[in-house]
Amino acid sequence: MRPLFCLLLLSSALFAADPAMVEKGRAEEKRACGGCHGLRIIHIQRLNRGQWDREITKMVGWGTVVKEREALLEYLVASYGDDKPAAPLARSADGSKKP
Amino acid sequence: MLVHNDFPEDLETPVEYFDSWLTPVDRFFVRQHLPRPKVDAATYRLKVHGLVNSPLELSLDDLKKFAQVKVPATLECAGNGRGNFKPKIPGLQWTKGAIGNAEWRGVRVADLLKKAGVKPEAKFGTANGMDVGAGKTPDFIRSVPLRKLLHESTIIALEMNGQPLPELHGFPARLIVPGWDGASWVKWVNDLQLAPESDKGFYFATAYKYPNFSVGPGGAAKPEEMEVLEGMAVVSFFSKPLDQAKVKIGAVPVMGVAFGGEHRITRVEVSADGGAKWVDAKLGAENFQFAWRTFTHEFKASKKGYYTLCCRATDSAGRVQPIEAEWNPSGYLWNAVDRIGITVEG
Repeated sequence: MRPLFCLLLLSSALFAADPAMVEKGRAEEKRACGGCHGLRIIHIQRLNRGQWDREITKMVGWGTVVKEREALLEYLVASYGDDKPAAPLARSADGSKKP
Repeated sequence: MLVHNDFPEDLETPVEYFDSWLTPVDRFFVRQHLPRPKVDAATYRLKVHGLVNSPLELSLDDLKKFAQVKVPATLECAGNGRGNFKPKIPGLQWTKGAIGNAEWRGVRVADLLKKAGVKPEAKFGTANGMDVGAGKTPDFIRSVPLRKLLHESTIIALEMNGQPLPELHGFPARLIVPGWDGASWVKWVNDLQLAPESDKGFYFATAYKYPNFSVGPGGAAKPEEMEVLEGMAVVSFFSKPLDQAKVKIGAVPVMGVAFGGEHRITRVEVSADGGAKWVDAKLGAENFQFAWRTFTHEFKASKKGYYTLCCRATDSAGRVQPIEAEWNPSGYLWNAVDRIGITVEG
């Protein structure tokens, strides 16, 4: 393999999120966030690691208990990082009465 | 509606519904910070207290005994367009549709304050609604300077477009602060406290602030460099044609809306070549200080091809929409020249 290709492979391996960690984070999102508000407001955003970290800090300050902070952060960055394409917005069927 | 959140509902109006001066209630955008309360109209009371000579506690029937005034006014979320900023900013990723125009009907706040008798030390009215957040989520409380509260168009609305306020829009009463950002328009309002200072809670002392200098994309400002939003930017949006529409050679109807906060819209220009040449659009007949203005134009498409249509508004203060909206840490007041692409087919 050419050196550049090797480097790219190594880089992607280094920066690829651990699937188990991401799954743990997904469960933590449901548990820690979903009790107070819908998850869609999270999933429509595309933020970098620092921004997601500050969002978690804000929500902890507002009373949520995060038990798996590292996993939650990894999941958010891996799924909704600022390098991910924008999320298409869902359309409600009957005006503003019901989403 | 475009769904940004299910619980509580945050819903954006698709731009194709900007085709009438009044936005239908069930097509009007919805922003909720906290889950909306269940309100019993029979036991509802609005308290006016604090630095007043005679505190008031008013039922809905009491409020209806005051002179009822109708105020056409455009409501726009300060964060409308946040999703268009780069780099990205946390918060609802509104595209263009966190704005709508309605006729609000209710009681002048000035009439309530006249009856209560405001003491000279009062400088702000702090409004609180009946909504409550989970855990330690801050309550949604907003202060409005007395000079704005006493304006003849600042009202406690009981109706929206001729019908009682829907739950989503603040039933039974909503503070209407024309020309100012939606955050000031407190829903489910049941408490107005006159005070010498503004509220110190999160939603007034921290949120809804704008830096007093241009920080540049991704930049930051110190808390003491942030100012409370008062008024809105001049902005316009196409309603038709839709972005990436395919049309036939011939006359292409173009329409949209323009809003200048506390200032009237005096001009809307349209370009069909990405902003190289501009022509005046025709402004709609409805022309009120705090309400958006519709505009129409006919683009004569004589040749097939791809066209970039742009619109830009000017208001009575001389403000003109910029090519680029000014990036700011909370993503407020996005107002870049609106731009859509259409394909004219032969």
